[in-house]
Amino acid sequence: MPKEQRRENYEQSLGAWRARLQATNQTRKPLIEKVTNTWREDEKFRVAEECDTKEPNFCDLDDENSFPSLSVKAIRSRRFRRMFAVLVLVSVGMYYIWTRHIRPSVQEGWELKQGFLPAQVNGTYGVAKGGHFDGVRIKDIDATYVPGGNKDPEGNRRLIFVGDIHGCKDELKHLLKKVDFNSKTDHLVATGDVVSKGPHSPGVLDLLIHYGAESVRGNHEDRLLEAAKTLSGSDNKRDDAMSTSKGYSKDAELLKELKPHHMRFLHDMPLMLRIPALPFATSSWRKDKHNIAEETIVIHAGLVPHVPLERQDPYFVMNMRSIDHKTHVPSALRETKKGNSKPWMHIWNWYNNRLAKGRSIKGFHIWSYAEWLNQRVTGSWISNSWSSMSKKQPQPQPQVAVYGHDSKMGLQMHRWSKGLDTGCASGGKLTAMVLDAKGKTEIVQVKCDSYRT
Amino acid sequence: MRAVLADLVSFLLYFPLLSASLLFRGTKRDAPYEQVNDHPGWSHQNEDKDEPDKYFHESSFSEHYDGRFATAPLIYEDRQSHLTALLRTYMSSMRDIGAETWIMHGTLLGWYWSRTILPWDGDLDVMISEKSLYHLASFYNMSMHHFSLPGAPNEPRVRHNYMLEVNPHYKNSSVESVNKIDARWIDTETGLFIDVTTLRRNKTAQALGEEDAMMVKDRHHYYHDDIFPLRSTTFEGVPVNIPFAYAEILIEEYGEEALSDVHFLNHRFDIEKQEWRALRYAELVRYREHGAMLGSTFWGKAADSESYFPD
Repeated sequence: MPKEQRRENYEQSLGAWRARLQATNQTRKPLIEKVTNTWREDEKFRVAEECDTKEPNFCDLDDENSFPSLSVKAIRSRRFRRMFAVLVLVSVGMYYIWTRHIRPSVQEGWELKQGFLPAQVNGTYGVAKGGHFDGVRIKDIDATYVPGGNKDPEGNRRLIFVGDIHGCKDELKHLLKKVDFNSKTDHLVATGDVVSKGPHSPGVLDLLIHYGAESVRGNHEDRLLEAAKTLSGSDNKRDDAMSTSKGYSKDAELLKELKPHHMRFLHDMPLMLRIPALPFATSSWRKDKHNIAEETIVIHAGLVPHVPLERQDPYFVMNMRSIDHKTHVPSALRETKKGNSKPWMHIWNWYNNRLAKGRSIKGFHIWSYAEWLNQRVTGSWISNSWSSMSKKQPQPQPQVAVYGHDSKMGLQMHRWSKGLDTGCASGGKLTAMVLDAKGKTEIVQVKCDSYRT
Repeated sequence: MRAVLADLVSFLLYFPLLSASLLFRGTKRDAPYEQVNDHPGWSHQNEDKDEPDKYFHESSFSEHYDGRFATAPLIYEDRQSHLTALLRTYMSSMRDIGAETWIMHGTLLGWYWSRTILPWDGDLDVMISEKSLYHLASFYNMSMHHFSLPGAPNEPRVRHNYMLEVNPHYKNSSVESVNKIDARWIDTETGLFIDVTTLRRNKTAQALGEEDAMMVKDRHHYYHDDIFPLRSTTFEGVPVNIPFAYAEILIEEYGEEALSDVHFLNHRFDIEKQEWRALRYAELVRYREHGAMLGSTFWGKAADSESYFPD
């Protein structure tokens, strides 16, 4: 195409363009001005615009059935407010109960249960042969002394348990008077440590012998008996030791005061005294701390739960204060270096509570192959239901522990353990627990002079 | 000329060393080999490696043997019976002499578990009171005690001579690492021995007001009333004494688990028989795989191993 022709064309089209532009500027307005929104006037869209729901009249404030009006009405109504307040209170209360009571007890229960389960540890306390005891380990109380027993059909007899006496003869006399002690119907049982510390150890022994009383062996009797073996015969054999240990020289002095019949009484003290469940006593409300309806074991310091009595180490029975809650190894200390220790009676109470509720102890530590075989046979569900139909597996029965030894803890009355040492020799009280044929217990105390030196 | 000078220098250097070693030999060493052993041979003591002041030495092959009387350690099965004889003869001799002695440490732990020596325990630990040690040093040092012991089944009884040797440093009651052993009861047939340590008053602590503080030269500390009065009981079939608060002492030394764990060093405690025994290989493998538990697996394994792996 020639160059001139192209240029001509271009100018022509440019001219036409301009003409068109001028024409539109005069006749057309901006597009926005054409918007009319006439649909707004249309009735059928109106509600939908105010409230995003298809339900008619829902958000209409003038309509008394609409949601906002109903809510306002509800909030204004007293009944609703009351209900709401109750709901809030109940949930706060439940939260409180959960955090303060349920969760800790579930947690503690879980924690305590670990110590009974073999899978958690490499072994448990009570497996080893353990310590040695020169004397009777377990003594059953004479049947004549059992309140409501065969020899007491009327149920007039009583058992009087007394905490650590420690040679406080006057206080013991005073206490016996206070409980109206009658040697015809009452039997006196001491929890050990009847001698040492206080002023009249031989006098206390004479009194106990006079009343035909019984006592389990405490750590002080144990020490005295062992010392007697090395001290008897010669007065100055261990003079070097006496200047080293105050306790040793005191024991030596006391041994000089004691007569053979005193020593026999000390030696005859068993490690544990077992009292059968009282025939007239009925197992009452679970949490009743002042009722004993089950078998009772009297010991000086404590017992490890679930470990058979004959497997308990004598040293710990006379000395324990705490138990390692994982290995169940006791300690004479309140707190061990490991930091796993708990007061022994906590674990004891938890375990016996579990037995009393009839909850299973399957899977807990076992002590012999025969026991294991027995458990395995009754393990599957078929044989389980069979055995429950035919004969119930012998489940250990809960026991009440009556003890002394721990005067710092003071009087400890729980459903499954009764701590009676209230520190008489150091100016505390001497405590008696009176048990009648119906299983009711009563605490009687007298104040003591301080004999601490 | 140069050679002569070198000779002179070496001689001058050598002589004081020689004389020094001779001097120590004469005063501070355990009784010489030639004087105590009548068998031809040479001593297996490792005295050259020990500190110069140390009196008692151990064999070069094991710390549980006296090299003057042994050339090699006993095998596992034999060691047990020799250790038992060692303990029985010691206890019976001390009883005859009237010395106040008692078992401690690993030996006490063995008493607690099974009334026997723990099978993995290579030595025996006993303690003696200070008064008794002085008595032994005054009247029984280097004494020989002859015993006729039952031999192997269908074999005649064998004579064993035991020697009681007291460390001349026994009067020194300060803590020291070299002469913490005050006396030794040695089986001159096997070289096995019992180290005897002495419970002494802790004069430092007593000066600070702790009247009943006691100590042993090997840095063990005790309270008088945790040890005394001693309890008499039996161990390995013979009467022995143990400390009063035996359980506390064991926990203090070995921890709570020492009284509860049924597995230790490839040994397992048999609850039925009340004794420790070495795990057999198959048991060992299962123990490694499944861990040590006293649960149903423990009892199950006991039953299985009886049928699968008869003795």
